[in-house]
Amino acid sequence: MQALLSFDQSPPLAAPLRFFLTAPWFAVLAGVLLWSEGATVFASRWMPSALAATHLLTLGFMLMTMLGALIQIFPVVAGANMAHPLRLARVVHGATSVGSLCLALAFLYSLPWLFALAGGLLLLAIAYFLGAAGLALRGQGLANPTIRGLKLALFGLWVTLLLGLGLVGALAGGWRLPWAGLTDLHAAWGLAGWSGTLLVAMAYVVVPMFQLTPGYPARESQLLSPVLLLCLLLWSVALLFSAEQVVRLAEAGLALLGLLFAGRTLYLQAHRRRPRRDALAAYWQSGMLAAILACGMLLTAAIAPALAQQRAWPLVFAVLLVAGAFMSFINGMLYKIIPFLGWLHLQNAGRGTAPPMAKLMPEAPALRQWWLHQLALLTLLLAALWPESFARLAGFCWVLANAALGWNLWQAARRYRQYRPAPMASGQGGGVA
Amino acid sequence: MSTTPPLRVLDARYLEPPEPFVQTMEMLDQLALGESMRLLLFREPHPLYQVLRRNGHCWQTSLLPDGSFDILITR
Repeated sequence: MQALLSFDQSPPLAAPLRFFLTAPWFAVLAGVLLWSEGATVFASRWMPSALAATHLLTLGFMLMTMLGALIQIFPVVAGANMAHPLRLARVVHGATSVGSLCLALAFLYSLPWLFALAGGLLLLAIAYFLGAAGLALRGQGLANPTIRGLKLALFGLWVTLLLGLGLVGALAGGWRLPWAGLTDLHAAWGLAGWSGTLLVAMAYVVVPMFQLTPGYPARESQLLSPVLLLCLLLWSVALLFSAEQVVRLAEAGLALLGLLFAGRTLYLQAHRRRPRRDALAAYWQSGMLAAILACGMLLTAAIAPALAQQRAWPLVFAVLLVAGAFMSFINGMLYKIIPFLGWLHLQNAGRGTAPPMAKLMPEAPALRQWWLHQLALLTLLLAALWPESFARLAGFCWVLANAALGWNLWQAARRYRQYRPAPMASGQGGGVA
Repeated sequence: MSTTPPLRVLDARYLEPPEPFVQTMEMLDQLALGESMRLLLFREPHPLYQVLRRNGHCWQTSLLPDGSFDILITR
């Protein structure tokens, strides 16, 4: 038997690549907004420009990369194949891109019809993806912690979508809904129920696989995601019934779970075999530190809620969680996934003659971009505290950091195309042997 | 007098992709019909399962307390 890695079930590279190459430019747009609007973005979390920038990051960058990565890695991490991956990718990518832009513009210009259009497009993208993912995962057991976490994360995305549609309905059609409470629920389900649960599920595979660390203990990894979702459910019900003590208890639970996961990941990274400084390791370490700070703030707010009433508190928390933690994890993975997929497809197309991954994505520009991201993160934190002095500088640094990310990823895709051999009239089967 | 050969073990937990896949396939090539091997990984190798299924091999997977997946493959 030949040692061949079959690509029969693997989606074409074009399916995920479009998501990865587009996403950084949404982050650039958020930076341009901050650069041009300045301190008003940080005046309050309810400012239209703050909501527009937030959704450019959470939808245009985070959701975009997460959906693209899942289309690619479902067969690898779950043994589940989504039907017609290229068609799925085209529809989901197009609708997410236009929908995210429409939503940001609708916030900025308060246009009800644009809210309705954005809601429709995002409903199409996310519901189509969730339908395909649900069908692919049908019949998969729950014993594997990654598959269990994936299913819970998809449930989290459903809840986030429905809450978001309710809010869009309120903005587009004037539905009378408890605006502030629904927004908190929407944000919590999006960040903890969807993004957090997905991150945890993926970490069980990618941290040992790409960073050569020990594995996450089985019992802990099987329990973490379900307990996290239970805490979130408890928090949601308590919020709806204004049970203040229970809300704080659930917040403390969520914070402790986040601290446990981040602490465990840092511990595993400290015990890597063949440790080396690369963009993936650097991003995951700095991201875990930001996550620890954000979870520490959540725990502090649960114990001493008066502290969280300060104007800058939710802004610093959001910057740490979104820009410091989630975007760092995603950036690090992009620097590993794109060259890895490119290499695999070149091996397949070139009969085992692909260049090393470092040729597709050299470490030096990736690590330089990591430094730019850290600088941008620092200025964003300063801007949350002193908007008048630092907001425009933070916007400029954020543009720079994410344009560099977009450029680096684009260069990797360009090198992949250069190495790709011309189609042959006849040939043997491809593989990695 | 014939003796049962010792069970071949491939500990691929600290190997970079695609080495675990490649080395598993190489070890499978050396197995006699009915012989088994053990593969240790920190993840479930779904792409490998597809190849095993296609080639008519049997396998049994269990999750160990330290997070390792112990996969017993029989040719």
